[in-house]
Amino acid sequence: MEVSRRDFMQIVAALGLGSAAAGCTSGAKKGPADITLADLYAFNPKGKVTLLHICDMHAHIKPLYWREPSTLLSAPNLVGTPGFLCGEAFAKHYGLEPSSLDAYFDTHMDFDALAKKFGKMGGIAHMKTLIDEVKKQRGAENVMLLDSGDTWQGTGVALKTNGEAIVDAQNYLGVDVMVGHWEFTYGKEQVKALIEKLDAKFISQNIVGDDPFADEFEELIFEPYTIQERAGAKIGIIGQSFPFTSTANPKEFTEGWSFGLRLDTLQEYVDELRNEHKVDCVVVLSHDGFSVDQEVARKVSGIDFILSGHTHDPSPKPIVINGTVIIIAGSHGKYVGRLDIDIQKGKVKDYEYKLIPVASNLIPADKAGEALVAKLYAPFDKEFNEVLGTTKGLLYKRDTFHSTFDQLINDAILDEMKCDISFTPGYRWGTTVLAGGEILMDNVYEMCGITYPNVYTFELVGSHIASLLEDIADNVFNENPLYQQGGDMSRIGGMTYDIKIAAKRGERITNILVAGKPLEHKKTYIVSSWGGNLQSAGKNLQTGKTRPVYDVVRDYIRRKKVVDVSNASNVKVVDFECGCPTQGKTSC
Amino acid sequence: MQRRSFLKNIAAAMAATAVVPHVSMAADAKPKGPNEFSLKEAVAAITGGKPLQTSPKIKLKAPEIAENGAVVPVKVDVDSAMTDAEHVQAIYVLATKNNNVRCAYVHLTPANGQATFGTRVKLGGTQDVLAIAKMSDGSFISASQNVKVTIGGCG
Repeated sequence: MEVSRRDFMQIVAALGLGSAAAGCTSGAKKGPADITLADLYAFNPKGKVTLLHICDMHAHIKPLYWREPSTLLSAPNLVGTPGFLCGEAFAKHYGLEPSSLDAYFDTHMDFDALAKKFGKMGGIAHMKTLIDEVKKQRGAENVMLLDSGDTWQGTGVALKTNGEAIVDAQNYLGVDVMVGHWEFTYGKEQVKALIEKLDAKFISQNIVGDDPFADEFEELIFEPYTIQERAGAKIGIIGQSFPFTSTANPKEFTEGWSFGLRLDTLQEYVDELRNEHKVDCVVVLSHDGFSVDQEVARKVSGIDFILSGHTHDPSPKPIVINGTVIIIAGSHGKYVGRLDIDIQKGKVKDYEYKLIPVASNLIPADKAGEALVAKLYAPFDKEFNEVLGTTKGLLYKRDTFHSTFDQLINDAILDEMKCDISFTPGYRWGTTVLAGGEILMDNVYEMCGITYPNVYTFELVGSHIASLLEDIADNVFNENPLYQQGGDMSRIGGMTYDIKIAAKRGERITNILVAGKPLEHKKTYIVSSWGGNLQSAGKNLQTGKTRPVYDVVRDYIRRKKVVDVSNASNVKVVDFECGCPTQGKTSC
Repeated sequence: MQRRSFLKNIAAAMAATAVVPHVSMAADAKPKGPNEFSLKEAVAAITGGKPLQTSPKIKLKAPEIAENGAVVPVKVDVDSAMTDAEHVQAIYVLATKNNNVRCAYVHLTPANGQATFGTRVKLGGTQDVLAIAKMSDGSFISASQNVKVTIGGCG
């Protein structure tokens, strides 16, 4: 057997001999792909306290492929800033080497080739090995694991167990504190039941009762903050769940609970922690989104660290605004963020941060974790492992307007529902299937495993469709991050349009074509959609057709056997020439 | 319970005062129907043509994005000693783009102790909510905030 140098490095790394290998290769020139376990673990420690941060795991307890976006556009004032960086612009901003492990994890560039080289990402068994290593280095009693939410939802095993399997996974990982967003889509009662089972504390300062006939009217639903001691320091952690849960997801799940940013009470809790509880460090554990949290740091004073989530940004470096350090750790369990804090005389003196990629080929799996995953999946293996078909090209989810897995779902809906137009959600979670790969039922659940899966078919008039598109566009492209909701544009089938992102609210979208013909404002169209709220705007709901989206997609792929999805976008962006411009530019 | 009387109760419950302020909702008998007031006319009817001054003394609290456009919580706080010499005489809440722009008019006296008023307003679409306070010196101060009413759908 011929072992190349690269293979050798990987074997060495897998055997945990990374540091020895680094020593004996120091004379040779190191290529970007030559990375070892020791490189992943390497850290310049500071102080005594370590916060480990995870966010937006979306219930991926097994390793997966996850390709980052090749289009990430926003209002011109935001494009090219952290939160709206992708591809070459991302690599340039953070100084990534092409073809390196970091480039593979953080960008879409050369994804197919690098996926073969570096393999899958994340998985709790690999995360656990990494977490244990940090605890060994720092002393377990000095380390805290914080979870910014979107953890309980996103895979078949989560859906079928109503989130319970994922709480088992969190307890195994040793999560200490969490906040939520998609968690709430299991409904209030199940959320409370899962919190009972959860070892971690669930905190939120921005969820308040708003049912005037309920006992909890105007009362906090969860503890707003928790104070934890690590290495002799008092650390105050304030919870900030997703502020727009009740508009982004069906209201029925959280009836009687009011969300919102609630920056005035956030400021009060920061002051309370500092002045009354004399904490040494104030942390906000947040699901606001990366760009919203930059606004939070501008408006609220006295926060040392914001551990952000929601927008799925893998930010290799923290950003600092008004003395507040903001970090965010990507999505799908691909990363663990390590934040060392040096606390002296009641103040944060220094810190060090590293976003550590959970490269499953380099970080060995913890046996207990593999066993737990196998146990949790066992009841569903037969259904989840069914090979529905294969794909010619790469199937991925992300991008501002269009991605191939979304297109496949829209193709399936158009085919079955015989509708004129289909709408599917612009969520940022899902999965990636490599070109030529098998599509499993598990992958379909990874794309559309939600508690309100129905595809609704109904009638909308043309003028209404146009105004709905404008409304959604303003949620994505508003120049003020506080008025965005942190997702991407709804994906469409059967329709195309042009968009000028920088135009005013209500004037962005032109040239809407349905089946190649201009949208007629007075004409009634048959529309199918899932995962949103469009059906409430429509008329004559065809109840007989209503069916869960994962069944529709499953049946379509089974019928097709081989899917060949076009990667040509059905949206033309008028004012940007490429998907990943740098700051101030409209081209790349 | 009628929606209107329900709203009155909420308003009374949320006004953080011992004395319930006199609340007159938008349906006052006027020569002109309430739906026929433009924003400009409604403001002119309040101020008698005097200028509105934006001021940090009046704080309007409303969500950036409404959870439900039919019941948007709005709270107005005016920084005032509420003495005979210097107090807030009235607080007005207007929805600038509703068909009926006038949402709630509340009259206060020094006996209220604190110039605070909270209620729910119905917003027909994304728009600015405008709060006006009439001060005892005859001046009018105001604050406004854009509230987005959306069908939502991202996540």
